[in-house]
Amino acid sequence: MFFNMDQEYKEIALDQEIFNFTGQDTTVVHQLRMLSDSLGAPRFFYADIETPVCADGECKLAKIKVYWNLLGNYVGFGVFEKTPLTKNEHDPFTHADYKKLHQLLGDRYSVLERRKMDDLIDEVPIVGEALKTYKGIDAISGATKKEIKESVVKGGLYSCYTLWHLANGAIVKAMKSHLETIYSDAITNYLLKSSYLDYQEYGLKKLRKEKFEEHIEDVLRIFHTTTPITRAYILKKIPNELFQKEIVTSNFYSKFHEVDKNTRTQLIAKMIQSDPKSSELLVIHIDIMTNNQLESYLELLKKHSAYLNEFIKKELKTYARSKDVKYNLKVTEFIREV
Amino acid sequence: MKKLVLFLSLTIAGLHYLSAQNEVLVEAESFISKGGWVVDPQFVEQMGSPYLMAHGMGAPVLNATTTINLKETGKYHVWVRTKNWVPGNWEAPGRFNVIINGKVLKNTLGLENDWTWEYAGKTRIKSHKVAIELNDLTGFNGRCDALYFSKTKEVPTNDTHRLAVWRKTVLGEPTAPEKTITFDLVITGGGLAGCAAAIAAAEQGLKVALIHDRPVLGGNASEEIRVHTLGIYGKYERILKMIDTEHYPNGSYKAKYDQEKRDKNMKSIENISLFLNWRAYDVLAENNSIQYVDARQTATGERIRFEAPLFVDSTGDGWIGFWAGAEFSYGRESVNKYDEEWEKWGELWSPEVGDNFVMGSSVLWQTEKKQTKQAFPKTPWASDVSGNHAAIAGEWYWEFSRNDLHQIHDAETIRDHMLRAIYGSFSKAKNDNKNDNIKLDWVSYLIGKRESRRLVGDHIFTFKDVRDLTKFKDSVVMEIREVDVHFQQNLKDEDKPDFLSTALFFETPKYYIPYRSLYSKNIANLFMAGRNFSCSHVGLGGPRVMLTTGQMGAAVGFASAICKKYSVNPRGVYTEHLEEYMELIEKQQ
Ligand SMILES: Cc1cc2nc3c(=O)[nH]c(=O)nc-3n(C[C@H](O)[C@H](O)[C@H](O)COP(=O)(O)OP(=O)(O)OC[C@H]3O[C@@H](n4cnc5c(N)ncnc54)[C@H](O)[C@@H]3O)c2cc1C
Repeated sequence: MFFNMDQEYKEIALDQEIFNFTGQDTTVVHQLRMLSDSLGAPRFFYADIETPVCADGECKLAKIKVYWNLLGNYVGFGVFEKTPLTKNEHDPFTHADYKKLHQLLGDRYSVLERRKMDDLIDEVPIVGEALKTYKGIDAISGATKKEIKESVVKGGLYSCYTLWHLANGAIVKAMKSHLETIYSDAITNYLLKSSYLDYQEYGLKKLRKEKFEEHIEDVLRIFHTTTPITRAYILKKIPNELFQKEIVTSNFYSKFHEVDKNTRTQLIAKMIQSDPKSSELLVIHIDIMTNNQLESYLELLKKHSAYLNEFIKKELKTYARSKDVKYNLKVTEFIREV
Repeated sequence: MKKLVLFLSLTIAGLHYLSAQNEVLVEAESFISKGGWVVDPQFVEQMGSPYLMAHGMGAPVLNATTTINLKETGKYHVWVRTKNWVPGNWEAPGRFNVIINGKVLKNTLGLENDWTWEYAGKTRIKSHKVAIELNDLTGFNGRCDALYFSKTKEVPTNDTHRLAVWRKTVLGEPTAPEKTITFDLVITGGGLAGCAAAIAAAEQGLKVALIHDRPVLGGNASEEIRVHTLGIYGKYERILKMIDTEHYPNGSYKAKYDQEKRDKNMKSIENISLFLNWRAYDVLAENNSIQYVDARQTATGERIRFEAPLFVDSTGDGWIGFWAGAEFSYGRESVNKYDEEWEKWGELWSPEVGDNFVMGSSVLWQTEKKQTKQAFPKTPWASDVSGNHAAIAGEWYWEFSRNDLHQIHDAETIRDHMLRAIYGSFSKAKNDNKNDNIKLDWVSYLIGKRESRRLVGDHIFTFKDVRDLTKFKDSVVMEIREVDVHFQQNLKDEDKPDFLSTALFFETPKYYIPYRSLYSKNIANLFMAGRNFSCSHVGLGGPRVMLTTGQMGAAVGFASAICKKYSVNPRGVYTEHLEEYMELIEKQQ
């Protein structure tokens, strides 16, 4: 079994049927089930799948258990010892093949998404000119056949294709809709406390603004560990009254140098919605700002005197005298102006 | 040579002539022989002028040379407007020096941050005729905007605004262009959209001017940028086949064959006056109506005023609209503004709160395998950007956008960032013996853009129109190609290089774009076609590909014929002559 959320899996105590669904291009019905912990808190979606995998008119049955997290994102699969998945020549998948399959099923951006089964038939190695014509296309085939070949199990293209579409197809939306029907504050809490990026993201989306304060510790922890796109989301959503509290401001700005450049831009722009402490935490890092970030920062200092105190002026002067030639002219000019 | 002016110095404020000393400003782009240097006019609006660049991809280029006449002999100080395009703790990558009458001036140039006047040294001029050379030392994009000869050691201003005024004064340039020409339709920007607009209007008998800032037509599809055209022809197959491309990989040298076809076709059409290497720089709008577009020859500096009752903005960046005061948008709208959610991709697709994470710009490049070993210099100044990334091929997803950078105002920074990504990644790949014979064959120095200003029309085309398959009574463009919106990979995974993107694709059977998205809401006589048409950020995701932008061009070209016939503005075509217009389009194939 390949699984991304082992700890949670150990806590499973209940298994309950939810609804039936069918895969893409088949009429085979599968049953979607919900796995919960001993207290009944939902943890995974799950389906025992038997699906025909067809190539060149010949079909074989693939048996596999597929697991999704609460958001309907694939997290793992299991196969039965007696009925392994097989490749073209009926050879069973090896351990390495399963590992690759696991990787593929977890890739939501997979090139298989926009491919019809027919497009994949070309089994002839693609080299030279033929490869050239497939590469580098800002659209229609963002993927090359080579890319497809690299992402699937050799000789197991059809199984991979079928299973990817089962695990990442329409069922994902259905699971998310189901989550909505059972959603509760307890789930928000669970998602925000978890260490999974997609859970945190969803929890934040669901977190009402008035609840931010209650969850500020989670929010800050997530901010410092999550992806830039989610950081951007937090900075856009956090209510100003909360952001302005000195302790919150300090927490966001004290790690200015550790966050990505896009987040830095946002932090600078948000300075005037924060406690003036932010400005002191920024001034010590002007050397790592981009040109435009420094310009915005200085511009804000010019317009909002509350953020320009003696400490900041002193720091700016020190920088202007420093050996860092990158911005010293700009900073010197600023000092002259104010 | 017109821009090469000799005169007695004068004070800027009062335009009084002073007869104290001689000074001469030489615009580098006006050099008689450019040698291996290229004219780069892409960033005029930001840094003030086209400039010469030593784009040698690591091998120093041939000297650019010119001669000037100095009225007075004697000792001169020479300043050069240039910049160190990658300041840092390494030798500046774009170093060069200046040679006067065969003698190298003392200081190496290209060393200081930002565009500034660097002091090249002094020279003693014995005869009036002076030979100047720019001598590239690195092959890595040294740049020279202008040279300034003066008998005093007073350095010209670095402030961009004051510099613009100073320049005009030093060059003795009158406010208005020397020449005015009148047309029925003036189109600015010769990408697929501009070319198609020109053909359609010219076929209908309009006298058309097509102003384009490059020597070749096609914009991103040109052999200079090498993106192949995607999408369908819609109603305009005949027109679009004259200017489209084959389906080769982006960056392929094959772009050259389609270039020949396109240029030949465009030149053969009666009624189209092509102004190649002319860049529009200003517009006058009175009572919300454009009176004229002023343009400048990118090398000689010569200027022309283009008057017309109707104008098309197909610059991609919406320059004509911008100068005329047309409403425009930039950035990502809130998902709720136009109901553009695609739940699956959430914030990556369309954010709850709007922001500046637009699709980025690219620089395409190509390598070739040779029979022999090919050396490539070390590029320590590139590794801040390229990190450990190694590559011997570029792709569409070599794309850069960051929220502190504007795709227009910071385009030079973005282009330079991509150059560092390319040189650094290639240099890294060359550490591996298996790449010994790989040669960096071609790197574009022109930036290929995807998204910037979008001018606002009577209809704003959005993702909702795609999703709902909305049919309009004025549907003039149709498309079946997927909608794809890009995001920078490092927004999801910080460890990824910041110059790579991922595309999200939304399949569609067929969507339509209404004519009302192709003329300005508030500038009465302005059409727009191309990626600066009226749409939202996600709305642009589909139609930015070039056969779709070409369809837009053709549609406005035909609309301009109706405008002329009835003396109406673009909006009048919709409100008063829609039936006739749609019939005209229906007749095309
Ligand atoms: C790397 C990359 C890959 C892409 N892949 C594809 C693809 O595979 N297929 C596809 O169809 N599309 C693709 N696109 C998208 C497409 O190329 C762009 O959206 C394109 O800009 C649309 O064309 P356009 O007609 O609007 O104008 P452009 O092609 O942008 O042309 C506008 C022209 O106007 C000129 N201009 C600008 N300002 C002035 C001025 N002031 N005076 C005179 N001239 C001016 C510019 O030099 C430019 O050449 C890609 C884009 C990039 C960057």
